[in-house]
Amino acid sequence: MILMIPLAYNLRNLTVRLSTTIAAAGGLALVVFVFASVMMLSNGIKKTLGRSAQPDVAIVMRKGSDAELSSGIEETQVGLILAGREVKKQPNGQPDGVGEVSLVILLDKLGADGVSNVAIRGVPDNVMTFRRDVKIVDGRAAQPGTDEVIIGKAIRGRFKGLDLGQTFEMRKNRPAKVVGVFSDGGSSFESEIWGDLNTIRSSFGREGMVSSVRARLQDPTQLDSFKLRIEQDPQLGLLVMREAEYYEKQSAGTSLFITAMGVMIAIFFSIGAMIGAMITMHASIANRQREIGTLRALGFSRLSILTSFLIESMALSLLGGAVGAIAALGMGFVRFSTMNFASWSEIVFTFEPTPGILLSAMLLAAVMGLVGGFFPAVRAARMNPILAMRGA
Amino acid sequence: MNLITVAARNALRNKFRTTLTVVGAAVAVLAFIMLRTVLSAWNVAADYAAKDRLGTRHKVSFVLPLPKKYIDTVRAVPGIKQACYSNWFGAKNPKNDNDFFASIAIDPTCLDVYDEMLIEPDQKAAWLADRKGAIVGDVLAKKLGVKVGDRVTLTGTIYPGDWQFTVDGIYKAARKSVDRSQFMFHWEYLNESIPERRRDKIGWITSRIDDPTKGAAISAEIDRIFDEKDVQTATMSERSMNLSFMAMLSAILTALNIVSVIILLIMMMILGNTIAMGVRERTREYGVLRAVGFSPRHIGIFIVGEAVTVGLLSGLVGVALSYPIVELGMGRFLEENMGSMFPYFRIEPTTMILAVLLTVGLSTIAAIFPAYQASKLSVTDALRRVA
Repeated sequence: MILMIPLAYNLRNLTVRLSTTIAAAGGLALVVFVFASVMMLSNGIKKTLGRSAQPDVAIVMRKGSDAELSSGIEETQVGLILAGREVKKQPNGQPDGVGEVSLVILLDKLGADGVSNVAIRGVPDNVMTFRRDVKIVDGRAAQPGTDEVIIGKAIRGRFKGLDLGQTFEMRKNRPAKVVGVFSDGGSSFESEIWGDLNTIRSSFGREGMVSSVRARLQDPTQLDSFKLRIEQDPQLGLLVMREAEYYEKQSAGTSLFITAMGVMIAIFFSIGAMIGAMITMHASIANRQREIGTLRALGFSRLSILTSFLIESMALSLLGGAVGAIAALGMGFVRFSTMNFASWSEIVFTFEPTPGILLSAMLLAAVMGLVGGFFPAVRAARMNPILAMRGA
Repeated sequence: MNLITVAARNALRNKFRTTLTVVGAAVAVLAFIMLRTVLSAWNVAADYAAKDRLGTRHKVSFVLPLPKKYIDTVRAVPGIKQACYSNWFGAKNPKNDNDFFASIAIDPTCLDVYDEMLIEPDQKAAWLADRKGAIVGDVLAKKLGVKVGDRVTLTGTIYPGDWQFTVDGIYKAARKSVDRSQFMFHWEYLNESIPERRRDKIGWITSRIDDPTKGAAISAEIDRIFDEKDVQTATMSERSMNLSFMAMLSAILTALNIVSVIILLIMMMILGNTIAMGVRERTREYGVLRAVGFSPRHIGIFIVGEAVTVGLLSGLVGVALSYPIVELGMGRFLEENMGSMFPYFRIEPTTMILAVLLTVGLSTIAAIFPAYQASKLSVTDALRRVA
């Protein structure tokens, strides 16, 4: 059995040289903070777009287009698509599906310089029954067939003209008026403007066209037969995807970019912080030569010295890691707004933590402590007790 | 030997610790340089924008087209030397869906308007005579594995179907902001191949003006003319256009800026830690120095001098590391694979100088507090102190 050096010995040691402990743990905390924040952001992007998808909905776009923005479907085909037997019916007998037009418009940012693309969607009258989670949280619903629009709550107040009662220009002398604000459980629709399908189409010269058709299926398993029937019709030239799959693709580029950036930063940063921990441990071991010699003389084995110092450096790094992770959780209150590469439009995200992210952040801290503490601990374990006690 | 040299030599007392500190801080410098280079590479498009070029697009949205006849109106505006039009085509390489590159249908005069794209005269002539011809950037040509005379098939995302092209020319860049991964072909070929309804529409107009100082006035004049028409326009200098594109990504840029400040904080903690440790171990020596007649100021100079030496060393090592890693490794990779976003990924000389200055500055700041404390200590206290 290995004789263990009491944990309290290590913990007290950390408090003896407080400023050094704080500096080393602070460096580690910053690394963990950056790492966890970036992962939370990347997760936030995936989640925000993922929440836009309903599990039993299929999206139909023109073959070859990879986003609603570049897709176009003739109005006459919409009825054909929705007439399929796989498509669910609404209580009034109408098919439960929507043909929508999706575009982006440039609006002036508020609180920051420049303009950005905001997604604008022309929606049919039954959109609220189709997307059941959408709720008007302020103002009222837009009157069908008018220039009234409603806006997602995430972009409210972020752009010029995007607040209750304000207007923005879709085309000359035809201002669109914001009459309501809606929520959709934190999905990317909350970063969109919704207006009447026909108004939007005529304002942008897209008469007789929609960008995409979404259909609620009787049952999610019927996607294959729905897909087969539509994709095999050469006259249509269309493409069918599960809505979840579509939004996964929409978030892939941006979230991959942010993850890659974050991992690269974390690697460089952690090398720096690891060396910081190493310096601290080396110094604390050099200062405790006599103590280590005494411990060895008392009968503690090399292994227990090694373990003891590894524990000390792990305690140091976990302390830093915990501070960093908690600080990163605080980022949950920050809203991050950027352009999504796939949809070319501004989407507001939040930093969303998961247990997995917090765990891997702590793991990163532990690894930094382990690697940073290893060589100093080996040095301590290899000390000759007699020489060490003499302080040579 | 003067005091500064003594201070500098103090850094060699604990060679192992100094080495670790320099390596740690140098890695931080490397990370800092990497982040700043990402930021400066992002700005290249705006920094090197042509001063005599204007862009005209649809006022409401960049996805909406302009009527083709607008080009004639723009060409007639006084002060406009040349103007050409283009359409974003949005092609995909059927062999690799994830390759992103710009594919644009252009009016032939665009080659004169964008004169920073260098192309051999015989290749240019061949392209002008070939309806299905294409001109490809050298980086993209390498990636697609094509040479002059090869046939290429691309899939259209906005204009559906498979499109056949012949590569007639490969252009090189005369300026570092040029995206060397563009695929350009005749606008006429596009226009005659698409349904009637979509024809005779252009994405944007690029014009060159005689006098760069009159850019704002000419832009206003163009927009004024079209203000009365069905489709209104927004005209601005190439620089403003590039800047407004970057503003869309401003949140990411801000985040990178914040992260680059955090790395400086980490670096300061590494340096400060080492300095504080050194001071603590040598407190008795400072007492001896004071006892033999050195003033508190001298003690301060010793400590700060040592910190500056370590900081300078870290900065220089960091810069030396960053050149092969950031410029030769990452830079080459990004230029070849993400050319449309980072056409020119190199470390700016100012970034290197800034990195070294900041490292020295931060190590000085990190040393000030321990130096102040050590110099305030009374001789007897210092002598009594046990490290």
